[in-house]
Amino acid sequence: MQSTGRPLLLSARSVSKSYRLGAAIVPAIRDVTLEISPEEFVAIQGPSGSGKTTLLNVLGLLDLADAGEVRVEGKKAADLSENAKSDLRRDRFGFVFQTFNLIPVLSAEENVAYPVALAGKSAAESHARAVELLSAVGLGEKAAVRPDLLSGGQRQRVAIARALANRPAVVFADEPTANLDSKTADEILDLMREMGKEREVAFVFATHDPRVVARARRVVSLKDGRVESDTGTLSGGSTPPEESRRPPGGIPWRVRE
Amino acid sequence: MSSWNLAWRNLVRQKRRTLLMGSVVAFGFAAFALAGGFIAQSFEGLKEGTIRSIGDLQIVDKRAVARNEESTLEFGLPDAGRARSIAARDPAVAAVLPRIEFVGLATNGAKSVPYLGVGVDPQPEAAATLARELVVAGRYLSAADGEDVVLGTGLASALGVKTGDRITLMATTPDGSLNAVDGVVSGLVDVRIKELNDRYLAAGIGLVSRLLETSETVSKLVVFLRKGSDENRVARRLEQSLTAAGFPIAIRHWAELAVFYGQVKLLYIGIFGFVGAVLVVIVILSAAIVMTMSVTERTREIGTLRAIGTRPAGIQSMFLAEGLVLALTGCVAGGLVALIVRAILNASGIVLPPPPGATHGMPINVKFYPLAYFAGVAAMAGTMLVASWFPARRASRISIVDALTHV
Ligand SMILES: Nc1ncnc2c1ncn2[C@@H]1O[C@H](COP(=O)(O)OP(=O)(O)OP(=O)(O)O)[C@@H](O)[C@H]1O
Ligand SMILES: [Mg+2]
Repeated sequence: MQSTGRPLLLSARSVSKSYRLGAAIVPAIRDVTLEISPEEFVAIQGPSGSGKTTLLNVLGLLDLADAGEVRVEGKKAADLSENAKSDLRRDRFGFVFQTFNLIPVLSAEENVAYPVALAGKSAAESHARAVELLSAVGLGEKAAVRPDLLSGGQRQRVAIARALANRPAVVFADEPTANLDSKTADEILDLMREMGKEREVAFVFATHDPRVVARARRVVSLKDGRVESDTGTLSGGSTPPEESRRPPGGIPWRVRE
Repeated sequence: MSSWNLAWRNLVRQKRRTLLMGSVVAFGFAAFALAGGFIAQSFEGLKEGTIRSIGDLQIVDKRAVARNEESTLEFGLPDAGRARSIAARDPAVAAVLPRIEFVGLATNGAKSVPYLGVGVDPQPEAAATLARELVVAGRYLSAADGEDVVLGTGLASALGVKTGDRITLMATTPDGSLNAVDGVVSGLVDVRIKELNDRYLAAGIGLVSRLLETSETVSKLVVFLRKGSDENRVARRLEQSLTAAGFPIAIRHWAELAVFYGQVKLLYIGIFGFVGAVLVVIVILSAAIVMTMSVTERTREIGTLRAIGTRPAGIQSMFLAEGLVLALTGCVAGGLVALIVRAILNASGIVLPPPPGATHGMPINVKFYPLAYFAGVAAMAGTMLVASWFPARRASRISIVDALTHV
């Protein structure tokens, strides 16, 4: 893969997942095929219940697909142990949630330092990394403050800093703006875009928010659990040329029917 | 951020619940420490009482270890005076008391009652044992070769005699003939066991030797050691020196002779164990509830931690650490409570009823018994670990996606 340029970051092939609701089986995503390259800025959009969250969870190794194959940097998700998946999320992924999900007993700085320490880095290094990231997201002054004393926008900034703490390859963000007012949402999105570019991190969003869609270089639309359309990387700025992304013998981003 | 620090902060976050659970642990620990100290004190009192009646060591004829005598002094120690002085020479020996055990009939002329007799050397006997404290009327024996006889209260009333009355003692001598001597009841004793009170008789060893027509032969020599001496080493020394002097003796230790002490100790350990088990169950149940609440409340946080890369084992140890920190802080608080309660109890001057087999009650004196404190810490830490184990494991196995959407 290295020979064709950048390796694929994430790939889903014919991935399906359904939920059991009592006696009924609710398909959440059906036969989804999707590939994501490093440094992409992708919005997965679609109506409520179309499977955005489910797809994000499956790609983010938070949940297992029922059928199909998910790969992260070439590794098959189905072959990974629980610990291996945990380590992969810690080292290669970042997560930003709609409800911020900071650890309430930890200060802003400690929240950001947590994943670094989890990866076995020294206290000094975790601290240094947290300080650097907090000032990068514009919260240098709030390092010692606990999350409950921060505004929603500030919390989401801390969450972004935390997601970037271990220099991940990709950050998954499920409705990161849904709990923010529109001005703050704009700021947060600009920050994520800036961070993604600066730190060479891919961002994958699940969202309804037109602001997110407007900023995305690539938009994947889901409907009833299927990929309805995928703009590919047409508007991609930092994405590599088409040629190098094309997997051997396949056309990227084409909707599989 | 160490996991202990994190555990501590999460405990502080749930102030009320932590306080409640901490009090349960503290109470459990204090109960453990105090009961342990109290029981240690009781054992010590009981041990002291036991030793004061049967001695630290007893020197007997080898044959007496395995078999019971069929006739009086069948396995007696001859030349007891010499053996006694050899034993008394050991620097660790405080006193050596001769004893002759015998049975017979006591009569007031009209009525005869069987007795269990013991011949003693009154002066050292009274000095080393509780013999004099047991006297409830009259006085204890005065001289080894006097006519004084002390009777159990039950035996005295069966005979219808009181102090100052004369009685006749009859017994079979070692060679099988019947003999009798006269004695004067100098005092009555209450040996605290009714069956023994109805039969108990003590007399000077001189009077008993005349009755049994023996001289210098005793049933055993009871040895009292100086405080702090090593019972086993002294026993070995005595065995060597007496065997070298030609005595075919065996040394018996107080613990093997004090069947009663062993039983009471078992009883106490049983009670302590039962109370301890009840405590542990209470702590386990409440801790399991508290931990389960904690896990349920923090489901979304667990989901977050798992999502950002914490391994299942990391989640599990987070909750186990909370259980342990709670146990240890509870123990520290409980230790303070125990020390305060102990100081209050010891200053109160409450007199406890005598432990089984002892003659009088002691003012309460709960000892500081470090082992009980260690055991308390171990019990509480173990208990909290057990109680946290299943909630912690459940937390570690939670589905991340479900946890993240948990409200
Ligand atoms: N835990 C679950 N149990 C049962 N059904 C579920 C569960 N999670 C999702 N579903 C169902 O799967 C389908 C896809 O859900 P998903 O949450 O992925 O959609 P979504 O696009 O993220 O929706 P929204 O925009 O409302 O967040 C829906 O029909 C939903 O009801
Ligand atoms: Mg969703």
